[in-house]
Amino acid sequence: MKTDLIHKKSSPGKLNGALFLVGVTVLIYMIFKIVRPHNFGNLSSLSSYFQQALLPTVAACGFYFIIVMGLFDFSIGANIVLSAIVGVLLSRSFGYLGLIVGPVLVGTLIGFINGILYVRLKIPSIIATVGLMMVYECIGALIASGSVLTLGQNVRAFGNAPWNIVLAVIAFLLAFIFLEHTKIGTYTYAIGSNETVAKNMGIAINTYKVIAFVLCGFFAGIMSILTISYGSAITASTNMSSMTRNFTPIMGCFFGLAFKKSVNPVIAMLVGEFIITMILNGLISLGAPTTIQNVITGCTLIGIVVLTTRVPKGAVVK
Amino acid sequence: MNKSVEILRAENISKSFGNTQACNNVSLSLARGEVHGLIGENGSGKSTFASMLCGVYAPDGGTFYLDGEEYSAHTQVEANEKGVAIIVQEVGTLNGLTVAQNIFLGKEDRFTRFGIFRPHKLNRTVNEILKRYGFDYINAGDMIDSYDYEVRKLVEIVKATHFGPKIVVVDETSTALSQDGRDILYDQIKKISDSGNTVLFISHDLDEVLQLTDRVSVLRDGSYVDTVVSSESSTDQLKILMVGREIDRKYYRTDYGGTISEEVVLRARNINVKDKIFDIDLDVHKGEILGIGGLSDCGMHDLAKAFFGAAYNRSGEITTATGVKINSIPDAIKNGIAYTAKDRDNESVVLNASIRDNITLLALAKVRKGPVISRTKENQFAQRLADQMSVKMQGLEQFVAGLSGGNKQKVVLARWLGTEPQILILDSPTRGIDIKVKADIYSLMDNLRKEGRAIVMISEELMELIGMCDRILVLKNGRINGEFFRSKELTEHDLIHQML
Amino acid sequence: MMKKTLRAAKKQTCIGGNLFQALLPYIGLFLLVLIFGVMTNFTSVSLRNLRLIVQQSYVLIICSIGVFFIMTMGSLDFSQGSIIGVASIAIAFLAQCNLALAVIVGIVIGAAIGFINGFLFVKFKVSSFIVTICTMFIFRGVCAFLTTEKPMSAPMYMYSLDQLYIFVPVVAVILGLGWFLFSGTSFGRKVKAIGAGETAAKFSGIRVASTKIFVYTLAGALAGFAATINTIRVGSITATSGTLLETNIMISLVLGGMPVTGGSKNRFSSVVVGVLLFAVLNNGLALLQIDPNIQQLIRGVLFLAIVVATTDRNVAIVVK
Repeated sequence: MKTDLIHKKSSPGKLNGALFLVGVTVLIYMIFKIVRPHNFGNLSSLSSYFQQALLPTVAACGFYFIIVMGLFDFSIGANIVLSAIVGVLLSRSFGYLGLIVGPVLVGTLIGFINGILYVRLKIPSIIATVGLMMVYECIGALIASGSVLTLGQNVRAFGNAPWNIVLAVIAFLLAFIFLEHTKIGTYTYAIGSNETVAKNMGIAINTYKVIAFVLCGFFAGIMSILTISYGSAITASTNMSSMTRNFTPIMGCFFGLAFKKSVNPVIAMLVGEFIITMILNGLISLGAPTTIQNVITGCTLIGIVVLTTRVPKGAVVK
Repeated sequence: MNKSVEILRAENISKSFGNTQACNNVSLSLARGEVHGLIGENGSGKSTFASMLCGVYAPDGGTFYLDGEEYSAHTQVEANEKGVAIIVQEVGTLNGLTVAQNIFLGKEDRFTRFGIFRPHKLNRTVNEILKRYGFDYINAGDMIDSYDYEVRKLVEIVKATHFGPKIVVVDETSTALSQDGRDILYDQIKKISDSGNTVLFISHDLDEVLQLTDRVSVLRDGSYVDTVVSSESSTDQLKILMVGREIDRKYYRTDYGGTISEEVVLRARNINVKDKIFDIDLDVHKGEILGIGGLSDCGMHDLAKAFFGAAYNRSGEITTATGVKINSIPDAIKNGIAYTAKDRDNESVVLNASIRDNITLLALAKVRKGPVISRTKENQFAQRLADQMSVKMQGLEQFVAGLSGGNKQKVVLARWLGTEPQILILDSPTRGIDIKVKADIYSLMDNLRKEGRAIVMISEELMELIGMCDRILVLKNGRINGEFFRSKELTEHDLIHQML
Repeated sequence: MMKKTLRAAKKQTCIGGNLFQALLPYIGLFLLVLIFGVMTNFTSVSLRNLRLIVQQSYVLIICSIGVFFIMTMGSLDFSQGSIIGVASIAIAFLAQCNLALAVIVGIVIGAAIGFINGFLFVKFKVSSFIVTICTMFIFRGVCAFLTTEKPMSAPMYMYSLDQLYIFVPVVAVILGLGWFLFSGTSFGRKVKAIGAGETAAKFSGIRVASTKIFVYTLAGALAGFAATINTIRVGSITATSGTLLETNIMISLVLGGMPVTGGSKNRFSSVVVGVLLFAVLNNGLALLQIDPNIQQLIRGVLFLAIVVATTDRNVAIVVK
């Protein structure tokens, strides 16, 4: 038929994105390996970096739904801490059942509260979740009443392979299913693309926004299981110190966003987190003090965002 | 085909937005299997009516009857389920989704089993549908972003028609398509009508409407006027119905035979805007009203922005009479150029600010006493201009958001008059405005012209261009494709011929 | 007919804002002082306590002025605390040589960080929230790094500078200048316009990009100046100096009745009222010896409640 009607815009192609990611990973690895061949990058440490990267990727999966819509959830860190506290306490009475069910339920509940409040109160999501973060931190502090909560020796399976990988993979699969095989994924992208048009077409915007927050909380809950199993002890955070936990998942998310046209977002996020973990470990092997880690994290995030943000001309950025 | 069985009856449909009454007791009847045109000037209510039919808005009053039963829809998906679909005027597809996802947006349940949705089945189904339409070159699994505007409109046509709806509303879709695209559209419309379903065809192009439709209904100022049989009518008759007998040429300028001054106040050379405008040269003269017209996508709106220093990716030169180059908005304003945008709410006014703040924003230097802004001076300045334009308001403190379309535009003009501009670029200045305010704006333009200022008017309304301009340039695909001078004999046909 | 007049009546509220809403912070302040007064047997209104409240507010007020301009534009700044931290270290160090030099360097450092914020925000079109969170993180790290061995101590003589008669006039002058800049100059109008309708502001000839960068630089410079006061009052700078400042600023401004989305309804008075409300609230809660956690909880809940109350629902924008 009228083939001259096709004005398909040239897309860089699926292969390019994947190649880029692989290329960066290899590059970062090479940089640190060359500089510090003994302290960095042998097989067992690579495996350890990979496992470290799993945790924030899990939370990033949930945050992805939020950020595609153009929203923010700043309470992820507080969520993780609170869910972990509940997890430890419940595991003392219910073992693994408590450790798994507790954080997931609490995480999801927190996500639900965030979503409902955001939708009902109609205030910007950044502001709402900053306020809620303070509230969740306090609740965590009240429950923990000042003590350090240690996870019992008998329930530490998720701190190591294979169970941590198993749990993470389950989370990734769930994220993949939600994104590609349910309406949630389609509508999330639709709302993120143009909320007004989506609403006119009949999509229940508020419902799906709440769902996105619920998913964010759900995945944060899963990450908290891994976090507490890995670190084995948790203290309640105060004075917004939980904010630091927000960063790494957010960074992974931006990787996912940037490469979503060519690579499956979940995979992109995992690779992104892996790269970030390598960078951080590489810096440690270089002898950089822990305080500089924050500087590097900040610079990396800003770098990633700057490189991956594509704003149409004339759009308003606040 | 028996075209006398009624499929849709609208009784006393009304809708208002704030202070504007968009539809006022509109009653219409559509017959089965007919192609029914709906025409009217800007602001006549046709798009609002169509939107209410398709679930985008709910009517404030009145009822629809579909196939004899009461009908209402709160979303487009619900309307679709009841057999009503719309192809909208603006973009109706969402970026970031595939072609298939766009077509079945809101209807994914068909492909869902036990809560799991199967994209492969969706894509397969959509590819079959696309093949049925003859659109082999569109792939269901591709991101819709990778296709251009025209192909995306074709996808919208598929989206609106593939499930055999009883009524399909085509809202001003044809004006933005190329000739090939229009042919495809007409083809689909014929197919729908042949299969016994109905098309409600909204368009500005009266010739097209008469050619395509069985009957045409006319709206004016939100009210229903009349329905005529297309084969027995003419564009002149339609125009009279649209505009009303009492308003004729007196509405516009009545002078003829004047000459355009030789003095050039704005000169454009080699203007190129990426993908939109190619190699345009033109001069604007003192005391001239220069009209620029064409299809809505011809590049004229971008040209207007270019004159104001607001175009991205522009090359070429725009210079004033004194040789100053205009490359940014502050340049333009400093050199006496004013600009009223087509997108009034976003570009011409700050909705959530008072009338006074809007008016003084452009002329902050004039309301200062030294470095301080004087409240009294502000109020005086704003009041004077608001009075000059006879803005109907509750007071200078009122937020612009609360004004009707016509009054908003008056505030826009008041703001710009405050800068005492020598050149005014008016993009669609009377769009969506009622007749009385339109007349006021036209007379303002005439006065400005007599004062020796130059006006560049960009408009999609041909009558307006013919009635008001000394000279009209027609753009086609980003290039100038015709120049016409003011004359009593000039007709829309002449212009349309150069536009297509 | 009835419907039309009702609708017209609703439109009235668009005129210059709701009077009750505008008075709410003052009413709140009055009530709060009253409640705390009663609950603490009027120790909260003793001269010594009032002086304490004032002293605790210096840094907050000055920084809030800068952030007020930023939030009027509809943007955010989360880096204020880190600016204070880094600048204070430099000031404490340089004060050993020359006080004036220290003050100036502090301002310059603040302005530089502010400029970085503005530049990244404007040139790369990254949301201000992300940019300032990142700079917060980065400079918090720098601050921690510089104080790893030991906290940076300010020279002894600075302690004697902590006097009401020095600081109160200084703060008052800055407040006055800020008010003048906002309400009385075209700069203030431009900032408001950017917040209320950025596209229209651009089409009105306002140089949005440079205005934004300037506002961020100004906010940074103000923070840099406040760092001097901080150094004098606190005496020794640790890795956590200045944390929480950014949210305290936001809470104060919100308490003062400023809508978080900015725009033309902003009044400069919300800076003063808001900071006073915040200071009185903190002071009262501390006097009543409420558990710090519960204090945080109260602050969080109050913050959310007031944001909800002051957010303009009439605004026809998509809330993200």
